[in-house]
Amino acid sequence: MSAIVTVRDLRKRYGDIEALRGISFDVQQGEIFGLLGPNGAGKTTTVEILEGLRKADAGDAIVDGIDVQKEPARAKARVGVQLQQSAFPENFSAKETVELFALCYGVTVDPLALLKQVDLVDKAGQRQEKLSGGQRQRLSIATALVNKPRVLFLDEPTTGLDPQARRNLWELVRGIRQSGTTVFLTTHYMDEAEVLCDRVAVMDHGKIIAMDPPRTLVAALLGRGFTKPVIQQQANLEDVFLDLTGHELRED
Amino acid sequence: MRQAALLTVMYFRAYLRDRTAIFFSLVVPLMLLLIFGSLNLGAFGQVTLAIDDQANNAASQQFVATLRKIDTLSTKTQSTDDALPRLKRTELDMLLVIPTDFAIAPTRAGARVPTLTIYGNDARPQQVSVGESIVNEVITRLSFAVNQSAPVLNVQKQDVQGVRLRYVDFLVPGILGVNVMQLAVFSVAFALVADKRRGVLRRLMATPLRPSTFLVSQVFTRLIMATLQVLIMIGVAVLLFDVHPLGGILPLLLVCLLGSVLFLTIGFALAGWAETENQVPAIAQLITLPQFFFSGVFFSKEAAPALIRPITNLLPLTFLNDALREISVQGATLWDVRGSLLGLVVWTGIGLVLAIRFFRFDRF
Repeated sequence: MSAIVTVRDLRKRYGDIEALRGISFDVQQGEIFGLLGPNGAGKTTTVEILEGLRKADAGDAIVDGIDVQKEPARAKARVGVQLQQSAFPENFSAKETVELFALCYGVTVDPLALLKQVDLVDKAGQRQEKLSGGQRQRLSIATALVNKPRVLFLDEPTTGLDPQARRNLWELVRGIRQSGTTVFLTTHYMDEAEVLCDRVAVMDHGKIIAMDPPRTLVAALLGRGFTKPVIQQQANLEDVFLDLTGHELRED
Repeated sequence: MRQAALLTVMYFRAYLRDRTAIFFSLVVPLMLLLIFGSLNLGAFGQVTLAIDDQANNAASQQFVATLRKIDTLSTKTQSTDDALPRLKRTELDMLLVIPTDFAIAPTRAGARVPTLTIYGNDARPQQVSVGESIVNEVITRLSFAVNQSAPVLNVQKQDVQGVRLRYVDFLVPGILGVNVMQLAVFSVAFALVADKRRGVLRRLMATPLRPSTFLVSQVFTRLIMATLQVLIMIGVAVLLFDVHPLGGILPLLLVCLLGSVLFLTIGFALAGWAETENQVPAIAQLITLPQFFFSGVFFSKEAAPALIRPITNLLPLTFLNDALREISVQGATLWDVRGSLLGLVVWTGIGLVLAIRFFRFDRF
């Protein structure tokens, strides 16, 4: 495996606030990499620099061999992007939204096949603004896939979704990785990182403070003698909720 | 190029689906035209009178001073050579020529009786007859005041064939101009501020799409809409109000499109500056409302207070309306209105600088 995303000593300052204080990491080809951290830790800044939407003050950001700072347009053509807010132009149907993004990337796609991939084919003719939160996140992923990206960046993809929609999105992300696309996501849900990510980096105050597979991090913590009161419970409230309401996706 | 064209098609299709946008870009302009077109405001107002005082003696000065005091008359001193063409263009209702031998004192027997000449614009019969009777009344009064006798003066009247300018003929170019302004400023500012705030522009900028390509598509979407709007308005004006644009429809359309580009630059500047949709109407009204009233949309731009007229004459919409009106009413060519077109181009330059200054993709 080789690194598809390389970040070296990346720094970014907004006025008095040092958002990134020199972070470095690699993302390996084909993995699902999670960037974790509380709000304001610098996750979004990192992702947006890698997406070519922001300029770093110092350091290198290389995606698929391209220096994002020097050739943002070339880098943008290789990656798929889902921003924190998925917003699209109004009065476009779901299918037209996919076509719009294909046009932006200068590629031709089969919009219906892409919508089928994200389970939205029956909403193809519907205006995107009428879609539910989960549907819009899936449409957003469809638009991020039009250029067959080498890396897919997902910034807090499940924030605001109900448990069914979250699980559905996890399945979708796994499927995308299966087809060979590297996935780089940010989240502040630890359960999400645990079940989805091959490796995670934990950020706080603009620095990476830990980076490993989730299980290694947990093992290390236990190794340091950490204990918490154990309640033998074979299920939690979320399991109850899903048992009562089913795994089936809700559409609004 | 192809990308910009396809993007324009997509955005235009979406634009046509937006009921609010269609309401403001087609229904409201038509309502303005229908309401003001049927009001016929031109029947009211003053009689504009040019005076050519060739005598310039004590008696004539007293005569002119008395005429000036009459509210119904809007008087202005002007030579016959200057005034006659204006009369033909219906920029004037009447011209009064005071002969060199003008006197109110009784003439000696056998001497020639001075002859006042009134040129009346036959396209404005009501105004002319009102003006004529006022002039006669003033002469009679002066004569009695000075001589205690009836005037010894001839008043000769000549008709001048003026352009038959009805109010609706005057109105239509103004309505075209004001709607071009509203459509360009509001449609861009509202849509793009919303897209900016919701993160749509940011998402598009995460693709390799060039900002210039996106901007071109946005401009062309609005220009197509403006073309549609202008043609529908002219169509209604021709069919319903029997208005005949003398200079032709194509020059009118071209000037409207130049005006659209000008006001689009202002719309983009505003969209770049505003943080939320709520700020848009306030600033947009601040920009458009003074022009609505002072740039000669519903009544002559001369109606603006004299003090601010040097400013109102330089407003972008004033240049647009002047050019449209001269083409439509007087049959002027694009070359004839080059002064106004130059004004539009200069404003477009200013707008472009503002748009580039405020509408920054790297800040979205």
